[in-house]
Amino acid sequence: TGRWRRAAPRTGRGGAGRGAAPGGGGGSAVMPARRSRPRRALARAPARASRTEAAWREFASSFTRTGMVPPAEPGLVAVEAAEGTAVLLLPPQQALTFTGKCRLRCLYGAVRLLGFAVASHHPGLPVFSPATHCALSLEALPGARPPAADLRQLRAAARGAMRSHRVRLRDGRVPFRGHSLLSRIFEPQSNFTPEDAVLASVGIVKCSPDNGLQVSESTCLALEELIQACCGEYEGIPVVLVCGPKNTGKSTFNRYLINLLLNHLPVVEYMECDIGQAEFTPPGCVSLSSVTEPVLGPPYTHQQMPHKVVYYGQTSCEQDTERYLDVVKYVFSCCKKEVPLVINTMGWVKGDGLLLLIDLIRLLSPSHIVQMDLCDWEAMPPLTPDHVHFSAGLHTKGKQQSKCKQLGLGDLESWKYPEGEDMSAPQHKLLYVNPEFPRAGAAVHSGILHDMSILGYLGHLQSPDIGAVLPLHCLVPYQVPFNAVALRVIHTDVAPSNIMYAVNASWVGLCCIPEEVRCQTDGPVLLTQTPICDCLGFGIVRGVDVEKKLYHILTPVPPENLRLVNCLLLGNIAIPECVLVGQQGIEGEIPYVTSDYNYSIVGSGKLRKNKQHLLKRKECDYA
Amino acid sequence: MAARAGTASPRGRPSASPARRRLKPLRTVVAWRGRAEWDQVMVGLYCGDSRLQQGALDRVSAWKSRYGSKMPLAVDCTAELIRCKVLDSSGRLKSHELILSYGLALVRFVNLITERKQKTVRLPLRQLAREVGIPVWVVDLRHELTHGKLPRLALCRKGCDVVLDWLRKMYWNRQLGNNLCEKDEDEKQEQEEVEANAELNSDAWVIQTPQHAACQKHKEFHEKVRDVLISYKNEQFRVMETVSKSRELWFDSSSEVDWILAQIKDLMQENRVAVAEALLSDGFLIPKMDCLKMLNIKYEANKEVWQFKIPPIFYCFWQPLLSGLLSRNFTQILIEKMFMELRECSDSSELRPQFLINWISELLTGIAKVNAGKKKQLCNKQESVKELFLHKVPLQWIRVTDSCLQAPCWATPHLLQMILTIMRPRLSRSSRKNLLYLASIYTEGGPPPLSSPGLSSDSSEQPIYTIESLQWRARQENQVKNQGQIVEKEENVPERDNGVEEVEEEEEEMVTETNPLEGLGHSGTMVAIAEKRAALQGSAWQITADEVRWKDFPLGKLPGQTDDPDGLMLDNYSMMSLLDQPVREEWKSLNTNSAELNIPVTGGLLWTQNDFYKIKSGLQLF
Repeated sequence: TGRWRRAAPRTGRGGAGRGAAPGGGGGSAVMPARRSRPRRALARAPARASRTEAAWREFASSFTRTGMVPPAEPGLVAVEAAEGTAVLLLPPQQALTFTGKCRLRCLYGAVRLLGFAVASHHPGLPVFSPATHCALSLEALPGARPPAADLRQLRAAARGAMRSHRVRLRDGRVPFRGHSLLSRIFEPQSNFTPEDAVLASVGIVKCSPDNGLQVSESTCLALEELIQACCGEYEGIPVVLVCGPKNTGKSTFNRYLINLLLNHLPVVEYMECDIGQAEFTPPGCVSLSSVTEPVLGPPYTHQQMPHKVVYYGQTSCEQDTERYLDVVKYVFSCCKKEVPLVINTMGWVKGDGLLLLIDLIRLLSPSHIVQMDLCDWEAMPPLTPDHVHFSAGLHTKGKQQSKCKQLGLGDLESWKYPEGEDMSAPQHKLLYVNPEFPRAGAAVHSGILHDMSILGYLGHLQSPDIGAVLPLHCLVPYQVPFNAVALRVIHTDVAPSNIMYAVNASWVGLCCIPEEVRCQTDGPVLLTQTPICDCLGFGIVRGVDVEKKLYHILTPVPPENLRLVNCLLLGNIAIPECVLVGQQGIEGEIPYVTSDYNYSIVGSGKLRKNKQHLLKRKECDYA
Repeated sequence: MAARAGTASPRGRPSASPARRRLKPLRTVVAWRGRAEWDQVMVGLYCGDSRLQQGALDRVSAWKSRYGSKMPLAVDCTAELIRCKVLDSSGRLKSHELILSYGLALVRFVNLITERKQKTVRLPLRQLAREVGIPVWVVDLRHELTHGKLPRLALCRKGCDVVLDWLRKMYWNRQLGNNLCEKDEDEKQEQEEVEANAELNSDAWVIQTPQHAACQKHKEFHEKVRDVLISYKNEQFRVMETVSKSRELWFDSSSEVDWILAQIKDLMQENRVAVAEALLSDGFLIPKMDCLKMLNIKYEANKEVWQFKIPPIFYCFWQPLLSGLLSRNFTQILIEKMFMELRECSDSSELRPQFLINWISELLTGIAKVNAGKKKQLCNKQESVKELFLHKVPLQWIRVTDSCLQAPCWATPHLLQMILTIMRPRLSRSSRKNLLYLASIYTEGGPPPLSSPGLSSDSSEQPIYTIESLQWRARQENQVKNQGQIVEKEENVPERDNGVEEVEEEEEEMVTETNPLEGLGHSGTMVAIAEKRAALQGSAWQITADEVRWKDFPLGKLPGQTDDPDGLMLDNYSMMSLLDQPVREEWKSLNTNSAELNIPVTGGLLWTQNDFYKIKSGLQLF
């Protein structure tokens, strides 16, 4: 309650300038609604939403009219509106950090959520804040800005918004800190206030602002600079490459950046080079997407097929860095470069990983490099333009070595820096970011995140109008003849006669190669090399019919795309164990599932990769 | 930092888990479809016929694809060594080449197997090898291969054979509880020695030891309790025989019985649970047939003939002991234990469940009497002496209710009702009612058979709603959406009656029609499927048209497919090469402009002068 008393004068001050509106127009009312799955809700009944929306607005404004924003009674922040909906009233700069999921609609004023400003004209947004990731914070923005009508106005508004944004960010930090302190002092942890109950009724739980994203000063500065570059008058379209070691918050930074950009731009391109933890696709892909909707949740809540995807087939690329670079190059060549591009890279920045990153930077020639690093932990050298220029990559050479041998090869207008003239070499701007809160993603083992995003993708197989979730093996699969689609196992050499043993009940990329699949016989067509081709989606080979020579495949790929699929790529990414183990209602044995395998017998486990490093370090300690 | 923390936890798991896994088998995903495939590969690898061995190796290559980086080390090592043997017998390689292949396979084996045993402090390979029973000379051979002179081929061959044998004994024969050992007696003995040796040394064993010791101790204790109980039984039989027909004499507990009682109470101080376990093991509270015969009790297979009562003679046989033991704590433990046992055997129609149910019922009756305070003080001595309980026993009733509900059987409604009547504080009336309904629905006996009128009177009028009803409703709503295509199903309101026939009928219905869930899927997605079918017109991709009940077939299995491990072998396939895909050689350097190189070569497979020039210009000399 103390919090509210503190907050109230601040609101009053804000409101005073705006005169007429009692209680100040700065207050924001938000309606997190519908406890059921947001995705489903999104699809369902927009008509009903629009009918009720007017009522909600009326309801919300009634609070302001009666002077309840700031609230008349202390402690009133959220009111339960109807079954599964609640109206939340936030004074400006008040933040609510929460976990859970809901659909969010701004009724009055504006709020910011992970960088994205939600205004009242936005449709309901699905919001996910699970415990696996950094909790989201809902923050009321001062002053409601009417949506600009025409383009010129839009531009002016954008610039204005940007200017005020900078101010807001700077201000925003102070209340954040002050707030967390206050809440710790004034908020009895054990007390379950009525407000909590109301929030719980829509499926979210308030948590301490400490669990939310902490935007450090260096992050702020970098974001400001990037927004200015992307939205301001700047020659050329910015290409922002984000790199840094694992778990430094690259993905969170990207989400924040994209959301901020979407406040000013209708679309941002996003290129995913982190094959381990892709933002929009299942693991193992390099992809390019046009992002138009804010990203308000971890990857497994927004699985979709971006317009350009190549299936690499593994969650790490140490084994075949050449193919990795091939794939990146192919995807990058599809980028139109008309809107700002944000590129995410892998967290592998040690040894060869760093060299590969330098290759990548040469290949993509970004205008800005955001290097995330912890101050006390210098995992990688600063990637200054000079450093990138002179040091050798894994497959490319630094400037000095390559200079002489490039002579005479004039027709190479490669993506690499133009040889010879040093000055015209693309100079990127290095933005060094020290995240103060490096916990993003660290809480959950990467294998689990892989499984989650695969499961998130497979969720599209469920039809939205049935209440129940059907087990995968109950669904009707597609079938396709052996000789209509080419087949390739990517990272392992499998004897052709035994290839169906690898394919059966496996995760496959459904791809499209430009060639027609030639078939002399009705047997399967095996590719001799791994193609770099578009991937249209993924599926599970539900069964292989050797008699009728058919693959049976479960996939959410829409039929109009599916008919283009003529190549199946089998990578090293496995179906989540729970999908196979959890099959209910099966009589007899489930293939590939056993309870007899005993891991305590010598040699039953897998190869342990990092053990040697660990040992070496230990040895050093001893020496 | 966080990365390190993240990877440390799964690594800790394998070493900590064996003890736990013993208790509860964990279902895991493996690369073989089933046992048959595993056996086939093992036999294939070790058969000695290189054609079969090659077949097995091919299958292992498919396993490797399935497993990715999780391939079991032992399988990998075995395959590598067998590959060398196959190469050797093909006669295509010269001895030096063979030494190189054998050498790498051997080095990998020794390193990979022993590395998993490495602790935080690096131990010498020899010591680790000794721990797992790898001969020391094999380790020496490894050292020679990596640091010294290349050994002779004969030594490599011998090393390979020894190591393969080790892998067979230590991994293949033991994995999956395999009994497929075709070896003679002394070999077996030797193997057991090796195993025992290995187990004693392996770190898995270190973790198991405390548990094993505890287990041993527990066993000994159990035996002790059994001994005492047997002496009690003997004493009672002796009394019965000497003082014939006067079972009342059992109640005047002899000094002998008192002594036994004291002993058991002593043991109970140590471990109540174990005493309860022993009491409920066969031959004591749960009699064996011969015991019943000795007491002239006729066993009736009909389950309700005893009316939830223990046959009087048998009751009297045990009453002195029980009334001595049944303290408040022990009663709680015994009843919970009984329910636990009941859960294990509720399906069987033998003595065990029947006696368990009756004993529970007797105990509850006894508690009810004593808690209600109806014990008649002035009644004759014999009457009061027959009771199991002398003092009030306030139990943790919620726990009792829980354990009762966890052991559903035909008698659950009855027992539950007894519990609900006795328990203090009582549950609310509606919860009691609902619990009883649920229990009776679950045990498929209809409304509680012996319930008091107050609780069950209105049950007959209302149909009981089950999951099926809800699904049926959902289906109805769906059908309304689809212009009510099928309306006649409306009659099939799943109303359940007491009759067993009804239940069977419904099960039949589910088989002949569709599973409600699946039906739901069908009606809801029929339109969607039709749309998809239309969209796929003329494409190679189709929606499977056959009426297949997919829910009966797990992923990886199709209708009509057997578990034959050769079922997925291919006899014909064609290879296809892609011309305009980057071939590896081009990729030696990123400096080549592969965009140009990747233009499909139009003039067949031969390069034109122009192509040749392009390729040459893309080449780089370092």
